[in-house]
Amino acid sequence: MALLEAIGIGKTYPGGVVANDGVNLVIEPGEVHAVVGENGAGKSTLMKILFGIEQPNAGRLVLDGKDVSFAGPRAAIDAGIGMVFQHFSLVPSFAVYENVVMGSEPRQGIRFDRKRAIAEVQALSDKFRLKVDPLPPVSSLPVGQQQRVEILKALYRNARILILDEPTAVLAPQEVQELFVAIRSLVAQGKTVIFIAHKLPEVLEISDRITVMRQGKTVGQVKSSEVTEKSLAALMVGREVTLRVDRKPTDQSKRVAEVRGLRVVNARGTEVVAGLDLNVHAGEIVGLVGVEGNGQAETLEAIAGLKPIAAGDITLSGEAINGLPVLDRRGRGLASIPEDRISEGLATGATVAENLVSTKLTDRRFVRSGLLDLKAIRDNATKLIAEHSIRVGGPGYTVGTLSGGNMQKVVVARELSEQPKLLLVNQPTRGVDLGATQFIWRTITDARDKGAAVLLSSADLSELLALSDRLLVLYRGRLVAAFLNTPDLTPETLGTYMLGLSTQTAEDMKPALR
Amino acid sequence: MMDIFLTVFSATFFVTIIRTTTPLLLATLGGLVADLSGALNVALEGMMLIGCLTAVIVSVYAPWYVAVLAGLGVGGLLGAMMAFFAYRLKADIILVGFAVNILAAGGTVFALALATGGDKGTSINLQSQAIPAVDLSFLSAIPGIGPILTAFLSGHSVLSWLAAFLVFAVWYFLFRTPWGLWLRGVGEYPGAPEAAGIPVAKVRTWSLVVSGALAGLGGAQLAMFNYVGFTRDMTAGRGFIALGAVLLGARHPVGALLAALLFGTFEAFAVVLPGLFNWMPAELIRMIPFVVTIAALVLFSIRAQRALAMRGVK
Amino acid sequence: MSNVPAIDKSIRFKAFRQEVTRSVGALVIALAVTTVIVFLTSKAPLDALTQLFTAPAAKTRTIGLWVDDIAKLTLTGLAFSLVFQARQFAMGVQGQVYIGAIAASFVVLSPIGTTPFGLAAGVLAAMAAGAFYGFLPGIAKAKLGANEIVSSLMLNYIAIELCNFLVRTSLPLPQAGVLTTVDFPEQSVLPALVANTRIDLGLIFAIVAVLVVWFALYRTSWGLKLRLVGHNARFAEYSGIKSTFIMVSAMTASGALGGLLGAVFVQGQTWGKLTVQFEGGLAFEGILVAIVARSRPLAVPIVAIFYAYLRQGASLMNVRTDVPAEVIGVVTAIIILLVSSSFSVNFVSKLFRRAPAAAAVQSAAK
Repeated sequence: MALLEAIGIGKTYPGGVVANDGVNLVIEPGEVHAVVGENGAGKSTLMKILFGIEQPNAGRLVLDGKDVSFAGPRAAIDAGIGMVFQHFSLVPSFAVYENVVMGSEPRQGIRFDRKRAIAEVQALSDKFRLKVDPLPPVSSLPVGQQQRVEILKALYRNARILILDEPTAVLAPQEVQELFVAIRSLVAQGKTVIFIAHKLPEVLEISDRITVMRQGKTVGQVKSSEVTEKSLAALMVGREVTLRVDRKPTDQSKRVAEVRGLRVVNARGTEVVAGLDLNVHAGEIVGLVGVEGNGQAETLEAIAGLKPIAAGDITLSGEAINGLPVLDRRGRGLASIPEDRISEGLATGATVAENLVSTKLTDRRFVRSGLLDLKAIRDNATKLIAEHSIRVGGPGYTVGTLSGGNMQKVVVARELSEQPKLLLVNQPTRGVDLGATQFIWRTITDARDKGAAVLLSSADLSELLALSDRLLVLYRGRLVAAFLNTPDLTPETLGTYMLGLSTQTAEDMKPALR
Repeated sequence: MMDIFLTVFSATFFVTIIRTTTPLLLATLGGLVADLSGALNVALEGMMLIGCLTAVIVSVYAPWYVAVLAGLGVGGLLGAMMAFFAYRLKADIILVGFAVNILAAGGTVFALALATGGDKGTSINLQSQAIPAVDLSFLSAIPGIGPILTAFLSGHSVLSWLAAFLVFAVWYFLFRTPWGLWLRGVGEYPGAPEAAGIPVAKVRTWSLVVSGALAGLGGAQLAMFNYVGFTRDMTAGRGFIALGAVLLGARHPVGALLAALLFGTFEAFAVVLPGLFNWMPAELIRMIPFVVTIAALVLFSIRAQRALAMRGVK
Repeated sequence: MSNVPAIDKSIRFKAFRQEVTRSVGALVIALAVTTVIVFLTSKAPLDALTQLFTAPAAKTRTIGLWVDDIAKLTLTGLAFSLVFQARQFAMGVQGQVYIGAIAASFVVLSPIGTTPFGLAAGVLAAMAAGAFYGFLPGIAKAKLGANEIVSSLMLNYIAIELCNFLVRTSLPLPQAGVLTTVDFPEQSVLPALVANTRIDLGLIFAIVAVLVVWFALYRTSWGLKLRLVGHNARFAEYSGIKSTFIMVSAMTASGALGGLLGAVFVQGQTWGKLTVQFEGGLAFEGILVAIVARSRPLAVPIVAIFYAYLRQGASLMNVRTDVPAEVIGVVTAIIILLVSSSFSVNFVSKLFRRAPAAAAVQSAAK
């Protein structure tokens, strides 16, 4: 008998977006079951329904042969389902054990029994070979460990079924292997794991069976041993799609940006970028490689002028730009596509037209003697909407009404409406569907082909390998390796350096440091 | 100069400080509980004021402790109302807070007029009661230090002792019980407790209820001990000062105590100064607590900025 | 693409209609509650309600009072709207009104007051003083991160006490012991627009202020920057907008409006002199006006017209019947609560729907 079954699940969000439509899922006890599909295929919605965060409009859930419905996560937890989100739900200043037990604390009267909590978390960590110390605050742990804290949380609540939502997206290849060791240990001790992913080699490696979703529907369930990467990909997208971009040969002799001895310190006083040197040339894309939180984001922010620097020099086209305000840097040809479009790249309450000129408020085309030229602003928007095929009713619509991919297009349209000298890009395609990803990749390489120097950071190694001319690996804010992007460069090689397991010598790095 | 010296170091001045500190401390603790759960309670002022009036009116008909409980209860109700509008109806909590303040400013005068048959702004015609002071004069029997103990410890309001205990109780609750863990988790990163099945809105609702109850208790102390009876706007900004005290006290109960004591001391100055220096304009003396609050806020912020700068952030 | 502007307009119209329905709905509920309260508390409820709803429009004199209130509520509503649009919760309009009034009084009671420039000098001094007073919490927040709610409220109390102090000690009084200065010289008092009413030049000031604020917010780059900061300060910084500068300038400009209101109070037909507690809590009621108007400058005077009517109605009811004017505080609170929440006309059904607990997880999971 199946352990958990979802039958004919349908979910339509207010606003009419159909996320799930007749979805069927059968989970056998003790298996690793992967759910794959492109971004936007409805995997996350299905998992939210299994975990009680969303309620389905149609269909039913069957657990242990009995119909169940979860009013909220609490009910799902009580039924033995645990979920690890892609973005962790951990209180940063709390200790590991506090995070693990929160919500189901051991008590002694009205008192929170800390000793018992620590002992229990330690025991659990040992039992499933998760190697997590219960005492330090989670904010001090690397991402891989934080993820295992999340797994501990679910296990602590006696989860029989563990849902992992894109668990490998934030991990370096070696950390992925550690995660797989943990997953195998969980299954060996009787747990069932639902594994959501879109990276097929990993899926084939870890899972027993695979359910494929496409456009809100389940299109098939297969045994991992009976499929290949290629046939799975064809199922996923319904047609053969290869994501690749051609990069033209360019003249990369002109050095556009130089960073020397950059140091950045965060609000807690820890050094997040520790003496970084790098150059970016016209017509090349330099990829910043690293597990998230090793200084890539801070480096980009420091160059953009969004973060104060503790030491170092940044020059753009030979001119020092340290200490210059953001606007002056932009005036010198800097453009930037930020990591989080909603919290940083857009004002969702303002109109598309307003968002599209927000960086150009000293431009005489749009502002003269402090007054707005509304017609020019509207024409600019109409033009960019057409050029980037942004799906929106018109320039006067607020950005908040757009889909994720279209929002990202608004950001890209604004940043690349004029050819930049230096383009900073951070996680350009996170949470964006395949079509938009293709479009954004092409836009970035077009800018490069036309002579922009591009500095790119991404958590997705395949994106970095697809776009970059050179790759620089950061570990704890330092440069530990540098590569020219040759066909024989593998994610595994990069992973060794990303985790700080080895470091290149200055001599090794030299060919890739221009 | 000698006068002020004697006054400041006298036991009576100490008793005055405790008296002026108590309502502030209760409101500050209330502000702290709400703030730690991520719900900024700007309505402390209005909750206190309504607490004042409720306690005064109830004390006409019932024993003092019932009146105190009524003040506490009405504060809790107002907290629940704030939570309802902020979390169920998704209103901005700051605007909801100011709505409560406006309701309090007008509503208390209106309700008082009804209760007294038309009196505008003062309860002078109501036979309201006071909270009894705790008499510890038996301590005088202790040889040597006895009389000093009596002078310093006797004569405080019951609620002053309760407030002192509440500092400990709030600390214990926040840092030693599971619910305190929930509350701090909800305030710092609501996604985490939510994913653990902890109802975030409910935690915030309860913290607002407790916050309101503490503010209401502060109101009862103000209208049944510091002053006996109600006058319009008698809280005179104490709720807002308490909001400043939460920030100044570094979001910790002991910090809240120290901050409330600081503001209480300056208010006590404002109480004794007119008697000592009759040339000092009363208006300027009344300004003291507000000026001190701003000064403290600014100095605290400068210090926080320096601490960041020391670590090389700026 | 040719039909895009039409779609634009239809969306705007829909949003506009929604706002209007919501505001009117809130008003109706608030008035219903008032009616109930009056029936429960008054010995002559019908009489009281008649006064509340008809008295302001009954006589030229009361119409004058009403229009005067419209002008003043418009000014305070604009001052609050300006800071709210930048998403700053500065509550300092009351303090700015007092400081502005003090500055105006000092100027017009000096020899300048009797010159032809007295009026303008007083008004400008008030605006400058108010701007300075608005600037203080702004700069404290921008430079030090000091919470603007607390600092601006403290400054309100300080301004009120300062006014009390200066009236008593530093300004000419008609006789010792009263808390009102001598009348301002005629040259410095805002002329009445309609004889024998309180309708004075302040109304023109208010109308001009509406247009200026609207123009500044929607037609200048400063206004666009201010609104972008209000929508998302981090995004504004990323775009190269100095959000701290915008924040401080918004609070300063709002302070100038507050100061102007101070001058309109004391230099106007209402007073023509400085007295303690002259504003009677009106300055704070700008919060309500700004909230109901959704901080849109052109909507502010419309809201002010309705609210001023209610305010005058309550005060006339207070004088002529047994219902105290403070009942209006209750009405105000209800309106703010309803308008600022997701309340809609069919809200009763929504009210008892389970709050979506999932929403928080969803946002956390992002």
